[in-house]
Amino acid sequence: MSTVETTRRRPRAGELAPFAILVIMIVALALVPVVTQYTVRTANVYDIFQNFASYGLVALALGITIIAGEFDLSVSSMYLLGGMVAVLTGAGSPLVGIAAALGTAILVGLIQGGLIARFRLNSMPVTLGGYLVVLGITYILGHNKSVMYDNFTVGLRLDKPVLQIFSIRSLVSLGIFVLVALVLRYLRVGRDIRAIGGDRRAARVAGVPVDRLLVGVFVVSALGAALPGALLSYSLATASPTNIGFDVLTFSATAALIGGVRLSGGKGGAVGIAAGVLSLSVLQEILAILRSPDYVSSLITGGLLVIVTIVWAPDLSQWFRTTRVAAAAEERT
Amino acid sequence: MSDERDPASTSGSRSPLVDASVAAVILEVVDFSKSFGPVRAVRSLSLDVRVGEVHAICGHNGAGKSTLVKALVGLVRPDEGVIRFDGQEISLRNPHDAQAHGIALVNQELSLVPELSVEDNIFLGGLDVPLVYRRRRLSEHARSVLDQLGLRHVQLGTSVESLSIGERQLVEIARLLVRDARLLILDEPTATLSKPEIERVFKATRDLVAQGRSVIFVSHRLDEVFELCDRVTVLRDGQRVATHEIHEIDRRTLIEHMLGEMEGARAMVDHEHAVPGSGETVVRIDRLTVPGSVEDVSLTLESGIITGLAGQVGSGTSTILRALGGLVPNASGTVEVRGKKVLLNTPRRASAAGLLYLPNDRQREGLFLGQSVERNLTVTRLRRLSRLGVLLRRRIQRAARELATMAGVSLDRLGSPAASLSGGNQQKVLLGRALQLEGTALLALDEPTRGVDVGGRADIHNLVRDAARQGTAVVFSSTELDEVLDLADVVVTIFHGRIVSIVPRAEASASAILADMTTSHASSTEASS
Amino acid sequence: MSSVMARVGIERRLLGLADLALAVWLAILAVVTVYGAATTTGFLTVSNGKAILTAASFVGIIAVGLTVIVLSGNLFSLALGQTAAISAMVFLWTLQWGLAAAILLTLLLGLVIGAVQGFAVGAWGANPIIVTIGAAGLMEGMAVWLSHGQSIIPPSNETSWERLGQPVFGLPAPVYVFIVVTVILAVVMRRTRFGRQIYLLGENRVAARAAALPITLLTVGAFGIASLYTAGSGILIGATSANASLLLVGSYTYDAIAAALVGGNAVTGGRGSIARTAAGAIFIATISDMLLLRGYSTGGQILVRGIIVVVVVVLTNLRERTR
Repeated sequence: MSTVETTRRRPRAGELAPFAILVIMIVALALVPVVTQYTVRTANVYDIFQNFASYGLVALALGITIIAGEFDLSVSSMYLLGGMVAVLTGAGSPLVGIAAALGTAILVGLIQGGLIARFRLNSMPVTLGGYLVVLGITYILGHNKSVMYDNFTVGLRLDKPVLQIFSIRSLVSLGIFVLVALVLRYLRVGRDIRAIGGDRRAARVAGVPVDRLLVGVFVVSALGAALPGALLSYSLATASPTNIGFDVLTFSATAALIGGVRLSGGKGGAVGIAAGVLSLSVLQEILAILRSPDYVSSLITGGLLVIVTIVWAPDLSQWFRTTRVAAAAEERT
Repeated sequence: MSDERDPASTSGSRSPLVDASVAAVILEVVDFSKSFGPVRAVRSLSLDVRVGEVHAICGHNGAGKSTLVKALVGLVRPDEGVIRFDGQEISLRNPHDAQAHGIALVNQELSLVPELSVEDNIFLGGLDVPLVYRRRRLSEHARSVLDQLGLRHVQLGTSVESLSIGERQLVEIARLLVRDARLLILDEPTATLSKPEIERVFKATRDLVAQGRSVIFVSHRLDEVFELCDRVTVLRDGQRVATHEIHEIDRRTLIEHMLGEMEGARAMVDHEHAVPGSGETVVRIDRLTVPGSVEDVSLTLESGIITGLAGQVGSGTSTILRALGGLVPNASGTVEVRGKKVLLNTPRRASAAGLLYLPNDRQREGLFLGQSVERNLTVTRLRRLSRLGVLLRRRIQRAARELATMAGVSLDRLGSPAASLSGGNQQKVLLGRALQLEGTALLALDEPTRGVDVGGRADIHNLVRDAARQGTAVVFSSTELDEVLDLADVVVTIFHGRIVSIVPRAEASASAILADMTTSHASSTEASS
Repeated sequence: MSSVMARVGIERRLLGLADLALAVWLAILAVVTVYGAATTTGFLTVSNGKAILTAASFVGIIAVGLTVIVLSGNLFSLALGQTAAISAMVFLWTLQWGLAAAILLTLLLGLVIGAVQGFAVGAWGANPIIVTIGAAGLMEGMAVWLSHGQSIIPPSNETSWERLGQPVFGLPAPVYVFIVVTVILAVVMRRTRFGRQIYLLGENRVAARAAALPITLLTVGAFGIASLYTAGSGILIGATSANASLLLVGSYTYDAIAAALVGGNAVTGGRGSIARTAAGAIFIATISDMLLLRGYSTGGQILVRGIIVVVVVVLTNLRERTR
């Protein structure tokens, strides 16, 4: 008589890493008052969640494409396009603007995903082209300039503090994260996405509808980039065709990788990515408190990305072993 | 090992409900043809499978078995021909369609996703799996199927990565059982399994057939065919050669059908074998161990001697050769080449020591398919064919021509991409790059004639013998008894990562070797004739 | 008889394919040029031709270097724009020690930057795209930090660098450099062991490992060359603008990748050539110029470039199934 055992796996070391990093960042934040005169206030926590709201979903979007074994390079310009479309069409009603932005995202996702699935293309060059196309459209829509959004109250409402540390924008982001986490864990779709990233051939043979899923993944990715872009544009009351001084792609990639998403595919989840985004947001808040110039943020984020990529590089431990063994052998002769 | 089977013995698994003469037919394949470019894999193949029977498909490599199987599960579309399932003509455009009709496949190339858990893999891609799928009812079903297959110790939540190959194969079969398929295709399912595991698979198969399902059993392990199946169809060169009730045929006739009479005779030609002990020791392996696959293997390889490692898939023969090729960094033990200890943790070091390894998966790991045959042939000797880093074009061309001629590859294919060659020729190209390479002490050939037809096999064996005659030590691995008997001067049998026996060819008997390859040491004494 | 045929047959197909692709490209270029001449004012003039070649040169030098990375199967580098900008800044700054020293140091820096990235990718298997994204961020940070956020200008007492920006026999110097370095790299890729091994590595990395090819060395070489060439372009850019800052990054990264892809190189590696990239660079420069003359805005140019990339990628990689 066998009882059905729980299907929950014991978390392994690698899966705990994102949370360890988050804890380290929070500790660092807590230590700031020790180093400077500054007291950490709820306003700082609010800032952290605002940062999360601005870029978190993009990391999630990119992360899902990586889990599926692909890579969407177009997220940084889809972000901008989402903002531009929302501002241009949302003059009357912000909801219309958001709907339009999401609709555009769906279209872009269908085209990119369709090409990749149908022609079995490598997603990197396709999304590179997609990045350019979307960026070009953004410029054209805005006549090569930033566009103002006259409805200031929308932005104010979106950013009004809720429970002191949240805002509608950050709650929306958090809510979507929770939703996606549930989907990935409990719905068949979640397992299938991991399958096509883990071993695409096996998934196909087993009967997983790979092509449909790929298109879906890229649609989700475009949506995940367009929504926060739209909301941020409302918040700033401007849509711009460029990101001055901030690279959405680097941020998202770093957050996703810190969050446990593996470039080999099949591994990673929404909760981990959220931890990754929060870690980077806390980091940026620390730098803001310390009044560090922008380039420090670039340096640290870039450096973190390189470190994380190397630490999780597939052949690293083997290389260490090989060189150590060889050195020992040479010493002996 | 007797070649004849007692026709009166009870074999096969036919359900008592089914009477052979009036059996309903679940699958009908009519005039199926398929070509891949210039290669005609299958020609006008017709066969049928009855309800409640286990139908074996036998044939040598290249006979068309895998193409047939792929067509039945929607991985390949027929150029011509019709497939009828349960009386109705069906079109199988993808594995989804096949699953919808109730056709399921288990083959050697596992379709499990290592990053997912056992339970997730069992229900992966299943049509009936609900949207919210982590449910108690499903978990219980999966648990009972796993228990049935003897995997009581495997937790549903374990990730497949941590399972052995045998266990993974059984999980794949579990997926099949959970899918309620009406026609199950088992393509060489037992190659990686131990005897008790094979028994469990057979029992599960018999249970399925008793329920009225049908099984196609593709295998060249004839003992299993006779033990499990009701009928057998033999394919050769893409065509159906014969179909017999199992009790109407014996082993020798079956082999003759598979090989064709002339070929059969050719394959049986006896070759002279060199006697070990006469040459210098080129490579000495001492206590080679690879955690999880190879245990305490010690071998002496002499120049001019061809050593054959005989073992089933997963027995560790391939791992031993890969270790010699520098592809197994976590191998421990010592290897001496011509008396000097060498470190073999990277392929570059192995190559520098004079150990040349040829992988068994020529398409994935051996050849550069999109590059020309010339480039493939010369990849191992570019240093010799260049000066100060600049390639000496004319010398390269000359070397390529010589190697191609030696290997038996037509010269006008030199400029074509390797992908355009047939399997046999591709294997010759792979072998060609290892020939006559200065400084080679040992050739390590991993399944040198995999996927090659009998004629090509004979050619490749001659090449290997030539290389040995020129003084190189050769070690090869093979899962086929006939190949080992034909080519090896010394036969080393490997089972579960350990050496079972080392016997010079002259003293080796086929039955003893087969026994050593397939059973554990304890019972090998019983099996020897 | 058969040996003669064999001699002709060897590599004929590969060579033939390469020539065919190139021929197709030249044909398309010709068609586009004719169309442009007929419909765009100011297109078919000598000065415009020079402008096209000059624009193509800066991107082209980077692109042909990048091609080695593409051919080796490591996709592409997203750090080249930053490398070019930093190189320009370093060049102008080191001019205080003389032209020769400046050139040497800048090229050396480029080589090292690339080699380090190549090592991480080759020896440790790190993902090349992410490594280069990270490296780009690091470089941006370092550049702003070291320059205190200001542009670098050449020292006032040193004018030797001006020669680099000046026309020689009517054509700007960068054009000559582009031609020369392209030919050199094309010869290296076709005629040297390194080049041959890069093709093999790009074709099948696993097989390259089993065949004992020096993967780490090859990857370090590929990234090193790409970065070296980019540094060279950076020198020319700096000399031409007489002013260097991170603003120089512009769109060089994406333009270079577009040039390599549009030329018809398979992004998965193993097939393609330096010549194709050069053709791609010229093609893109021609199209961009035409669009500019016809009054297309920045957005329009980016859009057209993106569409071309997508179309060519679909067409080229149609046969190269990835999974």
